[in-house]
Amino acid sequence: MHRRRFLAAGAAAASVGLAGCRSLFQTRSARSPPLVSDRPDAVYVPSHVEGMSMVGMASAGDFQVALTYSYPHRFWLVSGDSPNMVEIEGSDSLHLMTTVWDPETGTVLPHGSVTTTITRDGETLTSGKSLWPMISQNMGVHAGDNLALDGDGTYDVEVTVPPLPTRRAGAFDGRFGELGSASFSLEFSQSALEEISYETLPDRQGERDALDPMEMEMMPVSSTPAPGDLPGTLVGEGTSGDARFVVSRLDSPPAGVAAEESEATATDASGDGTVTATDSGPSGDRSYLGVSMRTPYNGNPIPQASLSATVVRDGTTLYDGSLAPTVDPDLGYHYGAVADVQSGDDLTLSVDAVPQIARHEGYETAFMSFDELSMTVGE
Amino acid sequence: MPPSRQRGVSRREFVKAAVAIGGSAALSACLGRENPDLPQGPDDLSGLSRRQHAWNDALRTDDHGNHVPPRHHLLLYLDYAGDGTPTDTDRETAETALRSLERAYPPSTDDGDIGLLFTVGYAPAYFDRFEGTLPESVDLPTPEALAPFEDPVPDEPDAVVHLASDYGSVLLAAEEGLLGEREEVNGREVEATFDGVFERASLAEGGRARRTGFIGEGLPADNQDVAGIPDSEPVPDDAPLYMGFESGFEKNQATEDYVTIAEGPFAGGTTQHVSSMDLNLTQWYEQDSREHREASMFCPAHADDDVIEGTGENLGNSNGVGGCAETVEQDARDGVVGHAQKNARARDDGRPVMLRRDFDSTDGDRAGLHFLALQESIADFVKTREAMNGTDAAAEGAVGQRANNGILQYINVRRRGNYLLPPRESRALPTPNPGE
Repeated sequence: MHRRRFLAAGAAAASVGLAGCRSLFQTRSARSPPLVSDRPDAVYVPSHVEGMSMVGMASAGDFQVALTYSYPHRFWLVSGDSPNMVEIEGSDSLHLMTTVWDPETGTVLPHGSVTTTITRDGETLTSGKSLWPMISQNMGVHAGDNLALDGDGTYDVEVTVPPLPTRRAGAFDGRFGELGSASFSLEFSQSALEEISYETLPDRQGERDALDPMEMEMMPVSSTPAPGDLPGTLVGEGTSGDARFVVSRLDSPPAGVAAEESEATATDASGDGTVTATDSGPSGDRSYLGVSMRTPYNGNPIPQASLSATVVRDGTTLYDGSLAPTVDPDLGYHYGAVADVQSGDDLTLSVDAVPQIARHEGYETAFMSFDELSMTVGE
Repeated sequence: MPPSRQRGVSRREFVKAAVAIGGSAALSACLGRENPDLPQGPDDLSGLSRRQHAWNDALRTDDHGNHVPPRHHLLLYLDYAGDGTPTDTDRETAETALRSLERAYPPSTDDGDIGLLFTVGYAPAYFDRFEGTLPESVDLPTPEALAPFEDPVPDEPDAVVHLASDYGSVLLAAEEGLLGEREEVNGREVEATFDGVFERASLAEGGRARRTGFIGEGLPADNQDVAGIPDSEPVPDDAPLYMGFESGFEKNQATEDYVTIAEGPFAGGTTQHVSSMDLNLTQWYEQDSREHREASMFCPAHADDDVIEGTGENLGNSNGVGGCAETVEQDARDGVVGHAQKNARARDDGRPVMLRRDFDSTDGDRAGLHFLALQESIADFVKTREAMNGTDAAAEGAVGQRANNGILQYINVRRRGNYLLPPRESRALPTPNPGE
């Protein structure tokens, strides 16, 4: 007999006086009110808001990582252009989350491959299990999943943070290239879980708005610089798929971008012949186009999309290619390319793949369908 | 709590459990269940292939021409019992022990059952015992991490024996005969054993020196009551592996000829890589959709075109992802790339460069996979693994380093080891240059 099932069966047999065990399922039902009816295809206020409990914070090599948890909850995975709702399973004990950031700048790093190994008394419950990269209104970008534990007790949780697969630029150039890990001790009890704040939002649910970002001492929540705080020149803004796009131009590419990017442009040029090189000088002299794709209201970065841009000046296409996802402490998580843009150019942004990041309630209907965004580059 | 299947322990489950436990008691219990009544092996061993890895002639083929692997597997990790360089006496003893096994069981029977197939391989650490170095014709590096996101423990025994049979009792008897715990195997006297020559290996960080597993229709479903798989018993009854799909299609395997070392003193041999990994399949079965499983195991076009029925048995002798190999970059930009699709980039003349002989496992009471691959050089394995890593796909943005990137989300490589399988004439405690 499976050990977990044996424990569950034993608990059921002995549960005559153990109300906690039987109320577990009822509690979960109550914790998961019906989805808002007539959800807009946009960011909306979900049916309820949950708090979270902090297990701890630790450094993992170059990274700082926090381990937190909340009630198990439904979320949506995205595969290609299809969302897929993940229901709460009867065996789920909690929703386990990690947030990864740069301890020097406090920038939260969208990290798609954090893994956890959970053991209790030397017995392994999960072995190098990958959490899903996720986004929620109050937690921003993090990694998480619903997990089954074996009831109340102390669990050892080893969190492994591999090298960041995303391009690093600016002061992040050359950093986050090594695997780091951190150990946490998770004291889990059903009663402590149930003390986490939980509030239904009957009056606000379904409104086009978002929950406030959580404020946690010591732990940053993912965000993007306000448009006015972006480095370089703000050359345009727009909205599509309910996401905001803030476009900035830097006179030269940030550190870590120049060399590889000039190569990519050259490949594009030879590929279809529609691209003309604008500048034969060293790539360091060419300007950089940065597109910050962010949530409305809270300004969380939206990672794991595919973006491309076209720049046309006086009828000539100067750039037509993809924008690489990049982290930079000044620009935040953004999509960028070495591409010359000047005042008066026609700039078109396309979302070639919708963000593949998993979404918590209130984000699952937004960012799923995008129109091309055209703008004339401003001063 | 999900309903438990109302039935007794099946013969298949029982035999798997007996192999995992090992020992004489397990063997007699296993024999009681299986009663294979196998013929003995040949007296004259000259008909056996020089290539230890030449198993295909003994294997059954299915209706599509795919080789059907033996159902039960055992990996024995061994250290040389003596100090320093192996002696000629030990070499002769080891060879006699191996011949005893060959005389005890036939590779296959007239009915097509696999009696016993085995190989003996040697790790780089073994060759460190000698002054001389391996010839350039052998590529056998020490094991290391092969992806930026993994941190495996290297397995560095002296030797590893891979035993395979359709019968669990055969593996147990062969193991006992080899290690000196039985004087007779399948009615044949054991003329020599590894006792005093090899002992069970002591591996870093408590690594198992005895690893077991199985592959074939029904076995994974019968043995899914372990950690790493949800309690909903999601593994299809006809799946040969835990992840629910067929593998080892004839067109997606290198040939035995291709993986054979062509020249030098080990010509006729091959190299073997064994990764031991844990599977985390709750997400795979309870959270992902069938369409996502198809896209990420094969390629998105297969899911879009609905070409995979059930476990993929309808695919015949090829996973059919050859065409998808060219669309990895585009599919990455669209959000999902497939495991087989990425691997299809590591081909030579349209064929994979390695021969998979992997199998699932319940070692440690959790779902695992012993990924065992044969290739002419370890570099061929590394090339395939790098293609599988999909680091280029992850850089495109929409595909994560693991999420939507083949099956990386669901596997955790815990250990890696590299071995040289010498040709049969030098399989017993070889020197780095057997001809000299």
